Amino acid sequence: MISGIGEGGRVSGYLSRRLQVLKACIILTGKLFFADPQWIIPSIIAPFVFTLVAFFLFNNQTNTSTFLLYLVLGGGLMGMWGTTIYGSVNSIGFDRWNGTMESTLAAPIPLSWIAMGRVLFNTFEGVINAFLILVIGFTWFQVAFGVISPVLFFVAAVGTFVSLSAFGLMMSTVVVLTRKGGFITNSMEIPVYIATGTMFPVSLLPFVALPFAYVLAPTWGIEAIRNATFAGYSGLGLGYWEDMLILVAETVVYLALAFVLFRRVEAYAKRNGNIEEY
Amino acid sequence: MQAMREEMRPLQSRGEEDAVEVEDLMREYRTRSFFGGVSRVTRALDGITFSAHAGELFGLIGPNGAGKTTTIKILTTLLTPTSGRAKVLGMDVTKEIYEIRRRIGIVYGGERGLYNRVSAIDNLKYFADLYGVDPSEAKARIPKLLELVGLQDRAAEKVEKYSRGMKQRLHIAKALVHDPEVLFLDEPTIGLDPAGARDIRKMVREMRDQGKTIMLTTHYMFEAEELCERIAVISKGKIVALDTPSALKNMVRDISVIELKTYGATDQYVDSLKSLPNVVRVVADLSSEDQVIRVQTPMGADLLPQVASLLPEGAKIIDRTIKEPTLEDAYLRLVEE
Repeated sequence: MISGIGEGGRVSGYLSRRLQVLKACIILTGKLFFADPQWIIPSIIAPFVFTLVAFFLFNNQTNTSTFLLYLVLGGGLMGMWGTTIYGSVNSIGFDRWNGTMESTLAAPIPLSWIAMGRVLFNTFEGVINAFLILVIGFTWFQVAFGVISPVLFFVAAVGTFVSLSAFGLMMSTVVVLTRKGGFITNSMEIPVYIATGTMFPVSLLPFVALPFAYVLAPTWGIEAIRNATFAGYSGLGLGYWEDMLILVAETVVYLALAFVLFRRVEAYAKRNGNIEEY
Repeated sequence: MQAMREEMRPLQSRGEEDAVEVEDLMREYRTRSFFGGVSRVTRALDGITFSAHAGELFGLIGPNGAGKTTTIKILTTLLTPTSGRAKVLGMDVTKEIYEIRRRIGIVYGGERGLYNRVSAIDNLKYFADLYGVDPSEAKARIPKLLELVGLQDRAAEKVEKYSRGMKQRLHIAKALVHDPEVLFLDEPTIGLDPAGARDIRKMVREMRDQGKTIMLTTHYMFEAEELCERIAVISKGKIVALDTPSALKNMVRDISVIELKTYGATDQYVDSLKSLPNVVRVVADLSSEDQVIRVQTPMGADLLPQVASLLPEGAKIIDRTIKEPTLEDAYLRLVEE
């Protein structure tokens, strides 16, 4: 009955194979996201509420449009971060409790590419979330969009997007390794909000917390975005291009670490035989 | 046992027609204590050796925890063996992982392995992409597969609305989406109703007729007997027999089986049957109204008067038949010895 199903018919070529997998994972993750409304609360509603609360707290205490813009941008980045880390980790964790981890791992492609497709969807969803927060800020609260360099702002925003994806990818390896991975990564959400300076300058953090902030690429992305937005912004004391350089360097390290970690945790899971446990 | 000895030859001396080759394969699971030390080592596979020929439907049967699924996991590159060697299509399962995965399909039993919140088509498209099937090829192949498994009319529905049998048929379509040469079926009919299980068995036969090599694990002896050309019986991590179903049954040709359909029989009655001289084994299912007791004995019908005399008051034998031993009788002897 399956005559007519030809042999071969496979996509060859290193890049085209990986692009095919990325596309498939982005589409499936999107369909699964929209099929399950529970993700909307942590991914979209929660960061949105945080931003609104911050607005109501500070709106009457300052009249400077700069401060409100700072708040809007921070809220947007917070939304991006929350969505990326929560979604990325859970998109792989989902396979564990859905019973599809074995099927996923059995595919003839490194797991890192499957995870990357899922992380890309979640980061994109985070961008939409950030965009909505910005739109609400600019329309409802009538914050003026006074960016001094829109091009540099755009470049920094894209860089931050990529760095968040890389960070999400790196963190998703923990879920492959252990079923407790979701607990570890979810518990990082709020500390990272603080450490990356989404809502207030990192320089206000206690000295001991600064190294943690420095190794998080989004910290430098946010700094670069603010450097491109506000005239005379000092922040951590570096200029736009220095911030971008560190952002790119740390993102490359994250990506390299993610690919190495994926290879290792896959091998570890195969040695331990705990792939399908949840 | 000649066939079994033949299978035990070293890998290098076998012909190239073997699709699956396993030699002295061992797998241990280590349970670690809270402080990281190894607290317990469980040997799931204890040096098994066998091979499945290209185009063969090869069965692996054994009780729970015998090592069937561990073997399948190693052969499908999802688990690393502790020692020994295993090859699929001539490739080492620990080295040529992605090439093996491209050329094998896996059918899991139970609810695992599908995305329930999306449709059957979405599942098949996704796995076709993961396996590198050319999109135009997948577009042509997926409707044929859905027709093959009888899901063409409900292909756009979410999988969560499917019955257990429909999900299992989708599993088969998923495993075939990249047109693999070797299929691993891990208890594909577990939990299915008789009609659903019959459909799956029909599909398995069709896949075999297509020339695919199939390795099947199952708990159902009649299923193994009906489908498999050769069967390996695995118990406590070791292969205790490997032969054709008829040859395995010949191992118990010294006995016949008295099958009793009873009413009101008790566990005490079964125990008393077991204690009779010349009774090799008694298998009883007293849980339903249609009680069935199978007594293995070398005496055949001569044992019937003793069997009847032990019946408790109020119980009766509704029907009795003297049967040839089945694969299940051979299996029970093998795994209990």
